Amino acid sequence: MAAVTYLEAIRQGIWEEMERDSSVFVLGEDVGVYGGAFKLTEGMLERFGEDRVVDTPISESAIVGAAIGAALMGMRPIAEMQFADFISCAFDQITNFAAKCRYRWGAGVPLVIRGPSGGGIHGGPYHSQNPEMHYVHTPGLKVVAPSTVYDAKGLIKSAIRDEDPVVYFEHKFLYRRLKEELPEGDWTVPIGKADIKRTGSDISVITYGAMVHLALEAAATLANDGIELEVVDLRTLVPLDKERVLDSVKKTSKVILLHEDVRTGGMAGELAAIIAEEAFEYLDGPIMRITAPDTPVPYSPPLEEFFLPKTSDIIRVARQLAAY
Amino acid sequence: MPSNVIMPQMGESIFEGTLTKWLKKVGEPVKRDEPLFEISTDKVDSEIPAPASGVLSEIRVNEGETVQINTVVGVIAEEGAAASPAPAKVEMEDAPKPQAVQPAPQEPELTPEPEPAAAASRSVRSSPLVKRIAREEDVDLGQLEGTGLGGRITKKDILSHLSGRQGSDVPPSAAPAPRMPGTERSPAGSSEVVPMSAMRKSIAEHMLASRRTSAHVTTVFEVDLTRIVNIKNQHAQEFLEREGGKLSYMPFFIKTVAGALKEFPVVNASISGTDIIYKKDVNIGVAVALDWGLIVPVVKNADEKSFLGIAKTASSLAERARQKKLAPEDVQGGTFTISNPGVFGSLLGTPIINQPQVAILCIGAITKRPVVINDAIAIRSMAYLTLTFDHRLIDGAVADHFMSSLKNKLEQWDEPLF
Amino acid sequence: MELNQQTLLDMLYYMKLTREIETRIERKLYRQGKIVGGVYVGRGQEAIAVGSAIQLEKDDCICPSHRDMGAFLIRGITPREIFAQYMGRRTGVTKGKEANMHMGDMRRGVIAFVSMLADTIPVAAGIAMTYKMRRQNNVVLCYFGDGATSRGDWHEGLNLASVQKAPVVYICNNNYYAYSTPLEKQMAVKDIAVRGAAYAMPGIIVDGNDAIEVFKATQEAIRLARQGGGPSLLECKTFRMTGHSAHDDVKYVPKELFAEWEKKDPILKLESSLLRQRVVSEDAVKKLAARITREVDEGLAMAENDPFPAQAETLEGVYADQNVEAPLAFANSFFSQER
Repeated sequence: MAAVTYLEAIRQGIWEEMERDSSVFVLGEDVGVYGGAFKLTEGMLERFGEDRVVDTPISESAIVGAAIGAALMGMRPIAEMQFADFISCAFDQITNFAAKCRYRWGAGVPLVIRGPSGGGIHGGPYHSQNPEMHYVHTPGLKVVAPSTVYDAKGLIKSAIRDEDPVVYFEHKFLYRRLKEELPEGDWTVPIGKADIKRTGSDISVITYGAMVHLALEAAATLANDGIELEVVDLRTLVPLDKERVLDSVKKTSKVILLHEDVRTGGMAGELAAIIAEEAFEYLDGPIMRITAPDTPVPYSPPLEEFFLPKTSDIIRVARQLAAY
Repeated sequence: MPSNVIMPQMGESIFEGTLTKWLKKVGEPVKRDEPLFEISTDKVDSEIPAPASGVLSEIRVNEGETVQINTVVGVIAEEGAAASPAPAKVEMEDAPKPQAVQPAPQEPELTPEPEPAAAASRSVRSSPLVKRIAREEDVDLGQLEGTGLGGRITKKDILSHLSGRQGSDVPPSAAPAPRMPGTERSPAGSSEVVPMSAMRKSIAEHMLASRRTSAHVTTVFEVDLTRIVNIKNQHAQEFLEREGGKLSYMPFFIKTVAGALKEFPVVNASISGTDIIYKKDVNIGVAVALDWGLIVPVVKNADEKSFLGIAKTASSLAERARQKKLAPEDVQGGTFTISNPGVFGSLLGTPIINQPQVAILCIGAITKRPVVINDAIAIRSMAYLTLTFDHRLIDGAVADHFMSSLKNKLEQWDEPLF
Repeated sequence: MELNQQTLLDMLYYMKLTREIETRIERKLYRQGKIVGGVYVGRGQEAIAVGSAIQLEKDDCICPSHRDMGAFLIRGITPREIFAQYMGRRTGVTKGKEANMHMGDMRRGVIAFVSMLADTIPVAAGIAMTYKMRRQNNVVLCYFGDGATSRGDWHEGLNLASVQKAPVVYICNNNYYAYSTPLEKQMAVKDIAVRGAAYAMPGIIVDGNDAIEVFKATQEAIRLARQGGGPSLLECKTFRMTGHSAHDDVKYVPKELFAEWEKKDPILKLESSLLRQRVVSEDAVKKLAARITREVDEGLAMAENDPFPAQAETLEGVYADQNVEAPLAFANSFFSQER
């Protein structure tokens, strides 16, 4: 197959699942006639019809609520949040209804809620958020965040096939910037398994989403100084692949936790606690975090540049940690 | 079997209730669900029905009393054949209490962690990982030199130590140390592990730190002390009678060094970052060897004291040092140090600078040696004086000038003793 | 469904069964300390759930709320299950995971509501949309109170259902009070039914205490939905004859209102109507009462002896394929290791 973009990979994944399983359908704002704000669902209405590609009113709560109803009935809805930022409008339905059905009364809710998250596109506070932690913090949900074209396709398919509600955060910055040739056939990427994107012996960099690429950039530079980073891509935030994270940390004894999300209450804090608790006697240096500051995402380019973690940040901290 | 009658919880936040009225007396028959008593709570007043049929056999809470929810307020005893087909009553004590703490599932005994044998590893900077490796491999971290930030022992340090466990890892120190047989694990019974004393730990740290801080260079001068030897011998008796103490060589050196330091203030200085701190006072520390270690009491303002003053101060300090009666100010504030291993027979030493000073003088043994004077051989009392100085601040020429001046003063001593 | 003698008898049965179970729960078990947590009953509102749900077909669904016990019973939830549910036993519908009426079972077409009332409104729309997608003739009956109609989800749900022409009947149990807040403090409109027009669906006012009127109004709405005519909004006017919950002393409701509505008791209304029209005899009514007492006694007796769930079950059921770690798992293993 020819190389496809990250966006195209997600589209392919959804399309293939809709072909494969007639219970899969898409609903959201502008997904049908318009083909989606980012053209991710382009062509689907023509192929699968109005029943399975539903243009909804601007009602995130009702979109998710209706998806829950359909999922309870055995359908596999994919509810799109046009920008992940708008997922907050459906917070109650997601955390109080979808997340808790199985636990409370044994009813599975096999739905997917997906949307483009992340900054770097001058979107300002409401088109750049990384809202994942609100959902990581809610038992009963699964949360994934692919960083590559391959993972994006593999994970959307797994999410659709999963029996539990999956919140799928794709990164808009990567939509058209990444291109990869994908294998033929029906393959998936398992939910709940991290991936070593680069092996190394000196420092483990645990990260996800767009930051994976920054970590790889930094690793290339640092290799020239004889500092070898191991880049661990979480891919899934919940359920966390704790074993793989701890294996890496036990190997290198030094760790940098990296994410684009804000600092407080971010995934790095959770990982730091796990590592400090379960790998205490393997640490040869303090656990370092590189994150955005605790502010909303600013708009003006110099401000957004300051806000987002940079490759140079990773390089600097890695050098300092290596020398410790 | 009797049934307990309890104070119910009428509302989620309610935790107590007042029993306002009993509707039955003790001994009266009671039918299940029949009104039995009335209560009053913050939220509501209620009539409470009997939980079982029988006879009210006990009243435990009287009218007007306020009790916590789930308190047993009375007991209904069975009476003959039960009218209601309802089977066994619910044990009230077992009923789930709203905020009751359920017994925790079996927890294993938490045994305290045994202390690692090498106590020295605790005072050395390392990391949880390094400590664990040290414990598992029985490595004494105090023996290692760390290459990490601030001298921290890193994973690399301990791992490379483990892979090459031959030879001594002990750094050079002031006094020649007995050759260490290496720190490989000895079979049990052939060695004894003794934790270091606080003083020893402190000396160890200080020596190591000093070597890492200063650029140590040593220069050696040979000094003809015949004149001083003669003067000392001449006045020994008088000194003993007048001062009640033995006249030693040290005051001669202290006085001379004090003068030389006034001439070469840079040798009386210290370094702070990229600044030179010139000390106004000349406080000369004198190393005193003790049975249990080493201490350096300080003769303050030696340049202002007379020979006698110096002699008295020095001997008093030494005495107090031996009796462990030195006060903190006795050992603080030194700007230069003199070490005198000559008394133990050492000819020549290469001392370690006493931080934050920039030089230290070592006096070797005074021995009679044949020397050449005016092309003739004479027997003179000679001694090697070595100056270790910090080349960051003091260049060789300066050090040698200082020593030259010192040598001249000593060889041509003509100060009155009293 | 035809409103024939059997249907009427069934309606009377379910309403009385509801009344008996709720009386036992609210006035006996709760006060005897046998139930912990909240108790919410629909005393005086039994006609609404029964008159509507009695007409459902097998594959229809209900999204009930907490005052619709009759609908649960009609769908096959038994008295024993209800008592066990209230008492937190393993045999309760949710196996002790959820409290009081927060229960559901997809096999019996009952969706468990959440405490964020009105969340079920869009969920019902989604179920109905699924029926449409599958070309099924089924309907969803979605119940809620006057209070829930103030929430955003209520409006989003009705809007979505109407634009999608989803086969759902939205049934409002307007019992006049949302906890202590009377209707005039909740909304500026006099009737909730007028909101139907805002979403282009019929908005029908119904006497919620007249089971037959409820039956007929629902019948019409169900017919419309099954024919593809989309959703309807039925406002069943009634009155809450108890506090909001069992611990509410209801001092904010004027006593005259209680007296007035007592006279309109729906069970009395239906029973006397059936007796008057000789649809049922005095004897049959007595037999019905005895049957209900027996069924409730039996169910309660069983439930009282049912076991509680094991504590380890706390960690079960969060995901289909994942376990949840016990909080002290690492501490227990780490500190018990040899070092």
